[in-house]
Amino acid sequence: MKRFLSTAVWIALAILAAGALGAIALQRGERLNALWFVVAAVCCYLLAFRFYSAFIAAKLLSLDDTRATPAERRDDGRDFVPTNKWVLFGHHFAAIAGPGPLVGPTLAAQFGYLPGTIWLIVGAAFAGCVQDFVILFFSIRRDGKSLGQMAREEVSERGGFIAQLAILAIMAILLAVIGLVVVNALKSSPWATFTLATTIPIAMLLGLYLRFVRPGRVLEASLMGVALVMFAVVAGQWVADSPAWASAFTLSGIALAVIIMIYGFAASALPVWLLLAPRDYLCAFIKAGAIFSLAAGILLVRPQVLMPPVTRFIDGTGPVFAGKIFPFCFITIACGAISGFHSLIASGTTPKMILRESHSRLIGYGAMLLESFVGIMAMVAACAMTPGVYFAINSPPSIVGNTAEAAATTISNWGFVLQPETMTNLAHSVGEITLWNRAGGAPSLAVGMAQIFSNTIGGPRLLSIWYHFAIMFEALFILTVLDAGTRVGRFMIQELGGRVWKPFGHTSWMPSVLISSALIVGLWGYFLYQGVIDPLGGVNLLWPLFGIGNQLLASVALVLATTILLKMEKLRWIWVTLVPMIWLVSATMTASYQKIFSPIPRLGFLAGANAMAVQLASGKIAVEKIGETHRLIFNSRVDAGVTALFALMVAVLILEAVIQWTAILSGRRKATLQETPYVATQWADTFSGAAHGDD
Amino acid sequence: MAHIHKLLSRPLRRLWRGLREWCGDAAYEQYLLSKSAQTSAFARMQPAEFYVEQLNRKYSRPNRCC
Repeated sequence: MKRFLSTAVWIALAILAAGALGAIALQRGERLNALWFVVAAVCCYLLAFRFYSAFIAAKLLSLDDTRATPAERRDDGRDFVPTNKWVLFGHHFAAIAGPGPLVGPTLAAQFGYLPGTIWLIVGAAFAGCVQDFVILFFSIRRDGKSLGQMAREEVSERGGFIAQLAILAIMAILLAVIGLVVVNALKSSPWATFTLATTIPIAMLLGLYLRFVRPGRVLEASLMGVALVMFAVVAGQWVADSPAWASAFTLSGIALAVIIMIYGFAASALPVWLLLAPRDYLCAFIKAGAIFSLAAGILLVRPQVLMPPVTRFIDGTGPVFAGKIFPFCFITIACGAISGFHSLIASGTTPKMILRESHSRLIGYGAMLLESFVGIMAMVAACAMTPGVYFAINSPPSIVGNTAEAAATTISNWGFVLQPETMTNLAHSVGEITLWNRAGGAPSLAVGMAQIFSNTIGGPRLLSIWYHFAIMFEALFILTVLDAGTRVGRFMIQELGGRVWKPFGHTSWMPSVLISSALIVGLWGYFLYQGVIDPLGGVNLLWPLFGIGNQLLASVALVLATTILLKMEKLRWIWVTLVPMIWLVSATMTASYQKIFSPIPRLGFLAGANAMAVQLASGKIAVEKIGETHRLIFNSRVDAGVTALFALMVAVLILEAVIQWTAILSGRRKATLQETPYVATQWADTFSGAAHGDD
Repeated sequence: MAHIHKLLSRPLRRLWRGLREWCGDAAYEQYLLSKSAQTSAFARMQPAEFYVEQLNRKYSRPNRCC
């Protein structure tokens, strides 16, 4: 009877999922309620978790709870800490959920809601979750080794070195692009700039409290910090209303970029307890609160989705970024469906804390499903606003026109009716000077979130507070990734430099700290500056580059996973990682090729540089712009080189892996796994788990 | 009343414990319970020392994603 009921429930869920997906895909002409997105996503996630992840756990990985995990064998209370699975799920989710699933789907909404929504659900279930799950499991079986170490041992020495180099290069692009999102969110906004600036002294205050007053009392300090940050959001309005203060906090893009670089350098070089860690604590609470509030807001408000399912911009002429739906929808969505960076977390802290192998299913596969759901919510928030407003916020002036009237006419001619006063009124109601040309995804997402929040609590009166709360949440979130990433980049440079000259590798030696911090900040700062001065708004330039890098890193993780599965003699099930790997490699290599060689100047870096060079040679560039144009030409050529380098590194790694696969399959090489030897758990029979909350 | 208290106290205690472990508030207590702290011949760290050492380790590797 129980079995019958269970089967009936799963069949009902499958029918509901099919119905909701059908409603999303086939609705034409009528407004669609956002609830359909939530129902479709949740039902698909439940089905994927129940059946596909169980299949992977049983057939592919053969999870074994009689085997002691690294947390049990090496329990040291510092790195290796046996942790309750739900607590670790929270840790892992907080680590993997960054700005990517919020910004990516918001930008991809230019294709309409349908392509992005389908990729978010399907990509997560069959690629992103699979990658996170298998890499977590393989790292558990190897004492929590990192992706680079595993690639070195399982693929080849050169493969491991390439993976490490790729991680550093991709990290520099990531930090630049998220820095650009912050710059575009704060540009000409005294309220948002003040609020975010205030979080720095608040974090330092918490740092001092946690270091000297009540060491390690994170909960009480974070609650105090959250209260202060909320006060700063409200106080920002007073600053914006005061002409003297407002002018002090109204900053240009370049000024903000320089401040962010100085901040990144400080966060990397200062003691970690003073700024970086307390800021991270603050961010964790605000992040969790904002994501749950957004989910609750969507369920309560059930907004109508105003964006069409598919827009005319699938042909590659979109104003937000250039490029056709394939491959750029997949490159742009990035983290909400699959993120290479997750493999760094799944082979970092999490495997050292897991209690049992079976928990990796919930933590690896399940946490990524939740991240995909964050992406769905961002898509809903972006598509619930009037499409004309969405394009007005996200389009650069070089495409829509320099004046409000010209921009409104261009956007209306695309079929998305927009009056200039609509934008003026909206900017006024959210407490901003202007919302035109605020590319980057953050302002449009903040408008979408604010509309959902204000329909839940406070009505239009609180729209401006909710908007700035959303901007603060996004910017805080991003700066936390930026400062933590800069510090990790510093350690990577110190490690690489230490191979050449040993003292440079000493992580606490101050000259090395300062030089390596300056190097990593200089690296991402260069790309950030490029984005800020880019006439197309920077997002068109940097986000695809980041997406390509991120998805190539995911390809590296899936190449490694496929190699290990082959060595485990799981040839029958190898398609589980091989198919997403082939898909990702196809999408990223196509995108790389188009970004380098496309003859369309907005799309291809080289064509863009050549077009500017022709304009320069024909004297069409104003004298005062000649220097800047030379820089733009140089930058475009550098970007073409960087894209080629990413693609080349991954191509070499794939080649190394394919040579090894062929050798193993032909019997020329013995498949040797580098797993740690089996040790039986001491907890299997007697462990109730009570000590770690696993009861 | 007693019945409600009995019904709620366990899940609430677990929730509180989970929240403290998630945010790092209980890290030092976990360290004291760990196998190595119980058996190690080395002196145990004090809370302030443990706090700084733990942060230095945590933020020297990728721990926040995009």
